[in-house]
Amino acid sequence: MSKHLTHHPDKAMLIEFAAGTLGTAESICVSAHLHFCEQCRTELMRLEQVGSQLMTEAEPAIIDDKLFDTVMAKIDHAEAAEQPAVVVSEQPVAGFPLAVSKLIKNKDYTPIWKRLSASVDIARFKTGQKDFEVALHRICAGGKTPKHDHHGLEYTVVLKGSFSDESAVYKEGDFLTRQPGDVHQPMGAQNGECICLSALEAPIKLTNPLGFLMKPLLRISPM
Amino acid sequence: MLRKTVDIVDNNNQVTGKVAVLNAPEKRSDEWSLLLISVGEDRDRQAFAQLFNHFAPLLKSFAQANRHQGWFPGLSEDLVQEVMIKVWQKAAGYNSEKASATTWIYTVARNCRIDMLRRKSNTQHLPLENEDYWHEPDEDTPVSLLRQKRSESKVQESLSQLPKEQDEILRKVYLEGKSHAEASEELGLPLGTVKSRVRLALQKMQILVSPEYQDELTHE
Repeated sequence: MSKHLTHHPDKAMLIEFAAGTLGTAESICVSAHLHFCEQCRTELMRLEQVGSQLMTEAEPAIIDDKLFDTVMAKIDHAEAAEQPAVVVSEQPVAGFPLAVSKLIKNKDYTPIWKRLSASVDIARFKTGQKDFEVALHRICAGGKTPKHDHHGLEYTVVLKGSFSDESAVYKEGDFLTRQPGDVHQPMGAQNGECICLSALEAPIKLTNPLGFLMKPLLRISPM
Repeated sequence: MLRKTVDIVDNNNQVTGKVAVLNAPEKRSDEWSLLLISVGEDRDRQAFAQLFNHFAPLLKSFAQANRHQGWFPGLSEDLVQEVMIKVWQKAAGYNSEKASATTWIYTVARNCRIDMLRRKSNTQHLPLENEDYWHEPDEDTPVSLLRQKRSESKVQESLSQLPKEQDEILRKVYLEGKSHAEASEELGLPLGTVKSRVRLALQKMQILVSPEYQDELTHE
């Protein structure tokens, strides 16, 4: 695991993740970054300690006397009903974060690689939310992507290999945030393909009267 | 602190120096953690009852503080039940070297709260369970464990010393379950102000300490 990453999620995202208020798509990206980043894992642990302290400081509420028995009865019921475990442990995709691995092996929706441009493929995930399109992008070795800007926020986490743009080289685990209007032209590293997780915000509304013409170009489909 | 030294050896197997390393961290000895270990290892119902008596009222209070629009009072007792059942079922996986019982139970409660809200707003089967997001890839090193222990004892003290508005914003974020954007709307403050207030509070408590954060601070 790389310990010295240079590109991390914004602190506010990590705080919301610790407090449990971050959206699903953003949480998947933060979770993927944490897989690679010990520094952020340590920080998350501390942020959870704050939540825990706030919880214990609160005025305790009154609990119905019967609640303990209800809980024990449910526990016993669940244990009695327990089937002998048939262990079909799905092996996670080697080196990938668990959440990403599970999305790849999702039985309800198998992601399929589709060509996006000469050097970029995309495989969309089903995540059960409508705000972001969550997908894997694969850039072939030395592949140049078309110069593009963003109509919404975009989060990217490098899962394998590396790529670069005008300002830096991004390696495994690095977390990038692109604001709407940021223009960039990512390029795959020469020494091998690069796979990234990305969450691209769905445009809320196209204000241009000819906006409907742009829709197919945006090719965003959250699911 | 227990220390031992280890030789530093160069490529030719020559000893070039000595370095102090930390021994395996001692087991956590607070009362709740010991009880949780008994539940995990021995399925100890007495220990579980004691945990229940202490945590159930706190969990209910945590649930009642939730101001999410999809949350209603009837869910609070459900959350207590769900969390305590999970505590029983998952206690065997509790690692006292990583977190105190209190922090561990907080994370179970936080995850249950998210799950209950997601289940309410989503009828389709979701591909990810909550725990998948918080999966830890490997054992953390003793160094980070030590840091974690040290900070845990400081959190309580530093929290009590925060100015009122910083204390308030942390409660909104953690207990009421507001996102930064929701808190900004409610308080009538710009999003940037809310974000920096939260960060300042956590920085003062020495929760956030990474270098790039220090840079941001000097710009404010």
